[in-house]
Parts: sequence; C-alpha cells; structure tokens
Amino acid sequence: MARTGTNNNIQAKLVLLGDMGTGKTSIVLRFVKGQFFNYQESTIGAAFFSQVISLNEATVKFDIWDTAGQERYHSLAPMYYRGAAAAIVAYDITSMDSFGRAKKWVQELQRQGNPNLVMVLVGNKADLEAKRKVDTKEGESYAQENGLYFLETSAKTAQNVNELFYEIAKRLAGACPSQTAGIKLQNGSLGRGRSVFCCSV
Amino acid sequence: MDSADDAGPNSVFPSSVQPDQQNPSVSERIDDRLKRVSLVDTDALPGDAPPPAPHAIDVDSHAGVNGVLDARSGSEGNDKREEDGGEAPGDVLLPQLVGAEHAFEVTRSSSDAGLRDNFEIEVEEPSSPSSSGYAGERGSSNATTSTGIEEVGEDEIVEADAADSSVWTPGKRHVDEDDGSISWRKRKKHFFVLSHSGKPIYSRYGDEHRLAGFSATLQAIISFVQNGGDRVNFVRAGNHQVVFLVKGPIYLVCISCTEEPYEALKGQLELLYGQMLLILTRSVNRCFERNPKFDMTPLLGGTDAVFSSLIHSFSWNPATFLHAYTCLPLAYPTRQAAGAILQDVADSGVLFAILMCRHKVISLVGAQKSSLHPDDMLLLANFVLSSESFRTSESFSPICLPRYNPMAFLYAYVHYLDVDTYLVLLTTSSDSFYHLKDCRIRIETVLLKSNVLSEVQKSVLDGGLHVDDLPVDSSTSGSLSPHLGQDRSIPGSPDRSLSGIGGPGGLWHFIYRSIYLDQYVSSDFSSPINSPKQQKRLYRAYQKLYASMHSRETGPYKTQFRRDENSVLLCWITQDFELYAAFDPLADKALAIKICNRVCQWVRDIENEIFLLGASPFSW
Ligand SMILES: Nc1nc2c(ncn2[C@@H]2O[C@H](COP(=O)(O)OP(=O)(O)OP(=O)(O)O)[C@@H](O)[C@H]2O)c(=O)[nH]1
Ligand SMILES: [Mg+2]
Repeated sequence: MARTGTNNNIQAKLVLLGDMGTGKTSIVLRFVKGQFFNYQESTIGAAFFSQVISLNEATVKFDIWDTAGQERYHSLAPMYYRGAAAAIVAYDITSMDSFGRAKKWVQELQRQGNPNLVMVLVGNKADLEAKRKVDTKEGESYAQENGLYFLETSAKTAQNVNELFYEIAKRLAGACPSQTAGIKLQNGSLGRGRSVFCCSV
Repeated sequence: MDSADDAGPNSVFPSSVQPDQQNPSVSERIDDRLKRVSLVDTDALPGDAPPPAPHAIDVDSHAGVNGVLDARSGSEGNDKREEDGGEAPGDVLLPQLVGAEHAFEVTRSSSDAGLRDNFEIEVEEPSSPSSSGYAGERGSSNATTSTGIEEVGEDEIVEADAADSSVWTPGKRHVDEDDGSISWRKRKKHFFVLSHSGKPIYSRYGDEHRLAGFSATLQAIISFVQNGGDRVNFVRAGNHQVVFLVKGPIYLVCISCTEEPYEALKGQLELLYGQMLLILTRSVNRCFERNPKFDMTPLLGGTDAVFSSLIHSFSWNPATFLHAYTCLPLAYPTRQAAGAILQDVADSGVLFAILMCRHKVISLVGAQKSSLHPDDMLLLANFVLSSESFRTSESFSPICLPRYNPMAFLYAYVHYLDVDTYLVLLTTSSDSFYHLKDCRIRIETVLLKSNVLSEVQKSVLDGGLHVDDLPVDSSTSGSLSPHLGQDRSIPGSPDRSLSGIGGPGGLWHFIYRSIYLDQYVSSDFSSPINSPKQQKRLYRAYQKLYASMHSRETGPYKTQFRRDENSVLLCWITQDFELYAAFDPLADKALAIKICNRVCQWVRDIENEIFLLGASPFSW
C-alpha cells in the first residue's frame, strides 16, 4: 500500500518479479545508482533499496524489493510482494520463456485481488533488438488485456528506466490522496510453516 | 609427498605412543618427558571408543563381491593398471573401474572408522639431518627446503590455479569439459553430487548435464554396494580415493588423488552437503519422494560460486577440519563494545547477531539458549562472502543452518558495513525485515561512534599473529599452566633463531584451538611458507595430523612429533587445547618443544584479544 504523509509524502512498497536474468537488479541499480554491470550476479532472496522521486504534486519514497528470479525462491515471493503498492513484472525480450514466466507472475498477483496495485509489465534488454524473440506487440496486447501499464526498457542504455519509475510514482500520487490516504504501510507477513518448494517439474 | 604416504601397506597403526625405533634412547627420553608434563586425562579425549573393525571387500566387475581383502593391499590394482599402460597419472577413470578388469577395493564400515593413513609417532626420517649436524648443513638445507616445498607431482592444471588465492576467482570453471575431456580427467580433486536415481546435481568441474553418464555410473556403484546392506564409504583405485557419502536421496562423491585422509575428505563432503542444506533445507528430500527422477539442478541455480568457494576453502581454511571458528584480533574493549550492542539487539527478538570481517568473527551473540555450531558459521560466511549479490545492498533471504535445524529456514538480514565487514541478523520470523533494518542502523551507529569499524580495518591491515613476535621465554613467571618439556638442560638452549627461516627455533606457523571456546587462532605464514602452494601443502599436513590425532583407530594421541624432508610438525592435545605447529625440517626437537610451550603461553596471555570470551553462545 502507499501511504501519504504530510505535504503529500508517499511511501510505497514496490516489488520486482520475473524470471532470473531478466534484468530486475540491473533496472533497479540503473534507477537507484545509475550503474550497470555486464556481469550482474544472481540475486539471493531479495535485495532492498530505497529511492525518492519528487513530482510536482507529491514526493514518493519507494521501498523497492528486488526479488530473486531463481526457482527456489518462487514460493517465498508472497513474503516480498504482500502489501506492495506497485509491482514491476519483468521479462527479457530475447527470451520467450521469460515472457511466459512473466504472465504467470501477473496471474499470481491478480489472484491476490488488490485492485489498487499498480502493475507494470516490462520487456527489458530492448537494446538487444537483433536477438528479440518477444514482439513489442505481444507484450503490449497482453498488458492491455490485463489492464497493465507496459514499457520496453534497457537497463544497459538506461532507455525508459527513469520513465518507468516516474510513471509508477505518478500513478501512486494520483491514486493516493483520494483512495488510500492514511493506509499504513504493511510489511509482508508470510504464514509460517508454508511449504517452500514447488516440486512440479 | 611425505613419509606417511611412502610407508605403504605395511605400516602399522600404533595404538599408543611408540618410541622411535632408530633411536630409542633419545625418543624414549623425550617421550617420557612429554608424558610427564602433559596434564591430559586420556578418557576425556574424543573418539576413545574402540572402533568396530572395518571390513573390506574386493570388487571387480567380473567376480563381484568376492570376499575379504585387506583395505591397504592396493598394489594389486596398481599392477593391473600399469599393465594396461597408456593412462596418464592423475586420470580419473571411474567408468573404466566398473567396466574393465581393474580390481579395486571397497571398504565398507558401519562407523566413521578406517583411518587410511599411517602415522608413526616420533617419526624421524633416516635421511633427515640430525640436530647435531644442524649448523653444518645449513647450506644444503636451504636448498632442500626451497625445492622440497614445491608440490612436485601436483597437478599443474587444476590445483595450481585453485591454490593461488590471489588469482582465484569464484564460480564454476571449465564448464566446457566432460568426462571425455583429458583435462577433466586430469583434475586432482573432483566433487560430485547426484540423486539416488543417478541424476547429476553438482559437479566441481564440467557441466552437470554433460556428465549424466558419469553420474549414472557413480549411482550404479553406490547402489550396487548398498544392496549388500551397507553404505559405501571408500574406494581406492590406483592412486585415487573415491569417497562416498549417502544422505537420503542425495549422494555425494569425492574423487581425489591428493592423498588427503579419508576422514578429511568425508568431512568435506559433509560440509558440501551442509552448504546445500543451507540453501535448500532438507525438505528438498520431499521432492524426491514425490518424483524419484526429480531434477534438482534448477533449485541450485546461481550457486556455483558458493560451492566452488567452499571447495577452495578446503585447501586453505583450517575451520573446515578443525570445526572451530576464528576471531579477528581486536583489543578487548573494542570487541566488548561490539558484543554489547549485538546483545542489545539479540534481546529484542533476533535469534543470532553475527558481526564478521571476511571469515573472521568480530563478535556474535545468540538469543538465550540458542547456540550456533562452528560449521554453520563457516557455511554461512562462505555463502555470504561468495554471493556478490549481498554486496549490492541490504538483503533479506531465507537461509537454513543445518546444525541448528536442517528442516527449517531462518531469515537472514545481511548488510555490508564496509568492504570487508558485514552483519548478519538471523530471525525465525519472515516479516521482521524492517525491525532488523532498524537494528542494523542502531548497531552501525554504535560501531561508528565507538570506532569499532576503524579498529577492525586496522586489525585487517596488521594481520594476525606473527611467529616472529613470539615473546622470549616467559616460563619463569611461575605460570600454573601445563608446559611441554620443561627441560632446561637442552643443549644450545639459547634460541637459535634461524635467520630468514621463520620465527624462533625455526617455527614457521602454528594453529591453536581452544576446545571450550570452539575457536582457533592461526598465525600468519612466515617465510619460507610464502606461496599459496606451500601454504596449501602445510595445510594438508595439518589436516593429516588432525585426522591421525583424532582417529579412533590410532588415537587418541596426546603428542605427535613428525619430521620429514619438508618440515617438522608437532601436535599437542590436552583437555583444553590443541596445538599444531610447523617448523623448519632441521629444527631441534627439544627446542621445538620449548617453543610450543611459549606459543601456548603467548596465546593464553593475549587470549582476550584473539578469542571471543564469555558471551560465547557455543559453550553452554
Ligand atoms: N544487454 C542487456 N543486458 C542486460 C540488461 N539488463 C540486464 N542485463 C544483463 O542480464 C544479466 C542478468 O541481469 P540481472 O539484473 O542480474 O537479472 P535479474 O532479473 O536480477 O536476475 P535474478 O537476480 O537472478 O533474478 C546481467 O548479466 C546483466 O548485465 C539490458 O537491458 N540489456
Ligand atoms: Mg537480481
């Protein structure tokens, strides 16, 4: 949930989901630190970042959860996305598999039934046009059908990365004063004893 | 290698301290002295139960299991191997072991017994110069020292790069190899993990999936012998040892021609398994119950660096065989300040608060009654240090401490305070990230204010204990502590510091392990143990010494003095501590003993700087 404070300060939990290697960490690092690494190590569990965006109408402080795409962490994802005001679901435009995986994440988030969740579908690695496997149209139309905002980005060239976060901030700022003002930020709470592995092969 | 290896099948397993056959008068005298001064109660030493006699069987593919054979009679297999010719030494040829006529022995035992090493107490190689010829042979000794330390016959391809920590890079190397590649076969030490259905899970070298056939072979061997109702532990094939560890549906295998003792290799497999549990917990077994052909490799995605760094640590980190942890040397008040704030945090619902600098502990605290096993600390530190991802930002991840609870995840908040120093806060609650983050901010503030972090950096720069700093004899201070050989009538007693060759008395290096604290301290390597290769060689010698001292079959020993062409090794175990020391091969025995006493005294004198005292959650 996003929380507004005085002077329209919004604190919002943002989660990134998507297959491993799609560039979630790279997108966040580009946004938060302006960095990009050709060899970015796979994330363990989830990494936490925070970053503030100032808009005319509000200041949005993002609590960003960059989750690990590795399979063993899938069942732990609710611990990170629960209570999120916004979600970025990323795929790699050079991998059809990662697009399929992204659709699954969208479905899982939809099942959580939070109507206020700002969800963005992101096709990353747009700089690798020559290796493209997922058409822009494909991503676009899937996003449209599911009421998601859609962008193609490149963490490498920084294309659309800031735009992505500004767009989310704007949507949260637009939604917050009227709808979710005063809602307390919830830290995810995962029921204990939950089974940890998805063994479906 | 060294004398113990050359001893061959006829070596005895001494069941008690034996006098030196060549020079009984001298060594008996020293022996007596050692016994006289040691305060050890033998019964208190671990591993005093007599082992069940290991039995060995001879397996070959035609004859099958055909009767009892001595585990050490490896010469038969060697001879056949040589007749075949053409095989490069160092080859790993397990598939052929099954398919061809090579005889090999499988040793099965229901316990961990079965030391396959042959240590003799008070071994003095005939070739070694006697201490009387010390000074006169200095010139030649320098020559032997420098060449003798080279690892002759060590594999150039593998261990050369693995040994050099300065160029060692994490992550899987040589993924392009498989069991058909010559380079792959020449690797000195392989580690494999496979499932009970023969599916590859992990391989140190080469791509797991390209090794499917090889995995199936290993699986066949294991189940072949398992059908006999026993667990396979050990196979010797020529100069290769194959050690198996069966953990439910997961099989772990090490194939090695490094001549490390069986116990050491088995311990390494245990740690490898522990590392896997740290990442997945033992509930991964359920996947195999549901689907025996379950492919586990995706669950370990992105963890190659974790395993390769663990395997690398088997050749440099004494914690991997000592089962103890080590602290960064710090002034007592500094460590106290760190401990106090960690304790504060632990009282607020954090299970374990651990502040570390690389592999060394600065301070750590556990919630009431919770204790942390040194092996868990090793695996946790290895996991954190080998995963670059933790350096990127603060993170919150599920982690299992296999010795604490192999079935459940804890949640680890990990944050680097500077490039070497990191904080790990462990909790059982998956929703306490923000609380842990607050705790970290509090801890960081206090550490900065009390200059702990700058002291830490200073200590890193200073390094550990230097053997040259060993204080001159302080034994006259009337200490109550036990002393090795208090004989003051040692000829030439004034310390003959061998200039350029280590510290006083030719001391090169030592490791002191406090039994109650579960901690050890290791000196920095002194000249001439300069290269990583030499360090690894010494490390392996310690490992062997440790195994022989702790073997149920041959031990427990209180003291051991070994001299070979490479070094003099001295080990002394009491109820309170274990001391392992390495000297110049020409070192005078009496003097070496004296030096060891001084080392122990020194360690006790500075124990509140090198150990974490009092607040240790390990001891009780
Ligand atoms: N060419 C190109 N490469 C990218 C881009 N974004 C990320 N990468 C590369 O893709 C690889 C994976 O990127 P990460 O950011 O680690 O991917 P991730 O989604 O965080 O992966 P997990 O943490 O395993 O889930 C890295 O080697 C990056 O350098 C991009 O926009 N263009
Ligand atoms: Mg990542």
